[in-house]
Amino acid sequence: MTTPLLDVRDLTVTINRDGRPITALDKVSFSVNPGEVLGVVGESGAGKSITGAAIIDLLVPPLKRTGGTISLNGDRLDQLSPKEMRRVRGGKIGFIFQDPMTSLNPVITIGRQLCDAIETHLRLGGNETKRRALDWIARVGLPNPDVQFKRYPHQLSGGMRQRIVIALALCANPSLVIADEPTTALDVSVQAHILQLMRDLHRESEVSMMLITHDLGVIAKMADRVAVLYAGRVAEISPVAELFANPSHPYTRGLIRATPMPTADGGVQLDQIPGAMPGLGAVPPGCAFNPRCSRAQSDCRSVVPPLVTQESSAFSCFHPLERDVA
Amino acid sequence: MTSQTPFLVLDHVSKVYRRNQSLIERIRKMEEGGTKAVSDVSLVISEGETVGLVGESGCGKSTLARLVSGLMAPTQGDIVFRKDPAGKTPRLQMIFQDPYSSLNGRWTIEDIIAEPIKVHRLRRGRAAIRARVDELLVQVGLSPTDAEKYPQEFSGGQRQRISIARALAGEPQFLILDEPTSALDVSVQAQILNLLRDLQKNLGLTSLFITHNLSVVRIMADRIGVMYLGELVEEASAEQLFRKPKHPYTRLLIDAAPNMDTSDRSLHPIAGELPNPAFPPAGCRFHTRCPFAQDVCRTAAPPRKATPEGGMFRCHFDLDLSKEVKTPPLAKVKTA
Repeated sequence: MTTPLLDVRDLTVTINRDGRPITALDKVSFSVNPGEVLGVVGESGAGKSITGAAIIDLLVPPLKRTGGTISLNGDRLDQLSPKEMRRVRGGKIGFIFQDPMTSLNPVITIGRQLCDAIETHLRLGGNETKRRALDWIARVGLPNPDVQFKRYPHQLSGGMRQRIVIALALCANPSLVIADEPTTALDVSVQAHILQLMRDLHRESEVSMMLITHDLGVIAKMADRVAVLYAGRVAEISPVAELFANPSHPYTRGLIRATPMPTADGGVQLDQIPGAMPGLGAVPPGCAFNPRCSRAQSDCRSVVPPLVTQESSAFSCFHPLERDVA
Repeated sequence: MTSQTPFLVLDHVSKVYRRNQSLIERIRKMEEGGTKAVSDVSLVISEGETVGLVGESGCGKSTLARLVSGLMAPTQGDIVFRKDPAGKTPRLQMIFQDPYSSLNGRWTIEDIIAEPIKVHRLRRGRAAIRARVDELLVQVGLSPTDAEKYPQEFSGGQRQRISIARALAGEPQFLILDEPTSALDVSVQAQILNLLRDLQKNLGLTSLFITHNLSVVRIMADRIGVMYLGELVEEASAEQLFRKPKHPYTRLLIDAAPNMDTSDRSLHPIAGELPNPAFPPAGCRFHTRCPFAQDVCRTAAPPRKATPEGGMFRCHFDLDLSKEVKTPPLAKVKTA
């Protein structure tokens, strides 16, 4: 087995509400192997973005990390001082945010922003820094890098801005990129461009990636392994083909069946999951999914199912779906 | 499908958003510029039919919804509803995208749902109105005890159910749904789509369903119109549109959305970026991104061609697009 690049164990994040701690992430464990794309999928409120933010210590108070370990290449990120953490952010770990409108500084040219990021982390000196910045503008597919270098974010379209955000995340040669809903704010045709770009850059640089999204279509095309989150807990982690063909957790299957997708015979399937995901602090005892689950039994209502590893996948369910073993 | 007198006819409808002219421009009587958000759209909706409109942002689909609902007047063209024997136009209601901003947070659910009933005088007396509100709440999958609550006590999916109940309270013959599930999560979206489908079936509503999601529109609509930069580029039955699209944009749009097939992981981006709708390209508006574009596309706007199946498309060529279109994987990006 390869040593994972990023290893997250029992990550717990709580939020303080009226002096009472409420669990937002409950002992989330997963790992990202070198060169791998780990998809993180779930509905809003499942804790996908909190997981991403917790890894690079960008949680917004009152959210607070209260337990667990995070190690990158063997270094414990959770024990770093804020100053040391600044060198990790943007240096060892790049971050692509959802909204390209707000994640760039509107009053600084994109060339300057790229140069700043490169200079801070790589310390190459003026000319080399600028050369790299121009190189990155070209690599993410913007024409006339010299012209783009002097432009401000508002002069670019949404898709072009997201390309710059990607360049910013990758320009310091990080070993891991966390992409939080990188294409959600974009149109379908632009989304495919950005995904293609991320895939090309991933192949060139062999950077590991954590791709956070709610779109199962994006997961199917981009991820090598997938972690499904539900109400702040990991429901299932599986290789992507297995997840779609043979999901173990009932929630995973529910999510796949609820996504309107044309089936092979031209019809469209649409099975809903009853109810809604419990909000913060309203997680039922036992398995968080039990009120919506058709397979729930008495043990599901009282005991939280642990994450059980079985061959290449792991799931937290007492009554997993049977595999169609060929 | 029913095909008597059409329920709603859009006849060469255009809408231009003008900017305010400066004093000097007005004195000099300079040409009034503007963005043509909807350009020469003709569409017929029959009774009991659901017509879907798809397109990317800026294609004019929401503007068209506002024109149909009468919230805005078209710059050119006519929108004609069939009048009932008494000479009245049919009642119309709208369901909006964002269930957080489309419900008044200071009103109880009862107030919200009762308002259309009171405005249209559909029930008389407090007890009758309250009974109708309860009935509607049950119809959309909520409970009558929810009537005393306020919108912020509900989740996004439940709020959208309230929006639907409010729309149904006006007993509309025609319903406009503008991205009703775009703000919702998948599992909740499936609930709302199933609810809407049941209501369509049971109430025999005629509706216009606007979305950017092709899979959603395929489930919901009988016929689908595809819009690009203000123009209706193709219109066909849902079946026909997905099986045998006639316009290259439709084909590329279908391929661009990633599906859940993990064996074929290729992506299908559409070359280039959406041009600025204020300055659409000359000739065919799609020619800057079209893999089939030839010289004629750059100069002449394609005519409106009818298909034998009753649809229409705007393309110079009669292409066979029933298969996936192979585009070069890394197409050049054009500056906006």
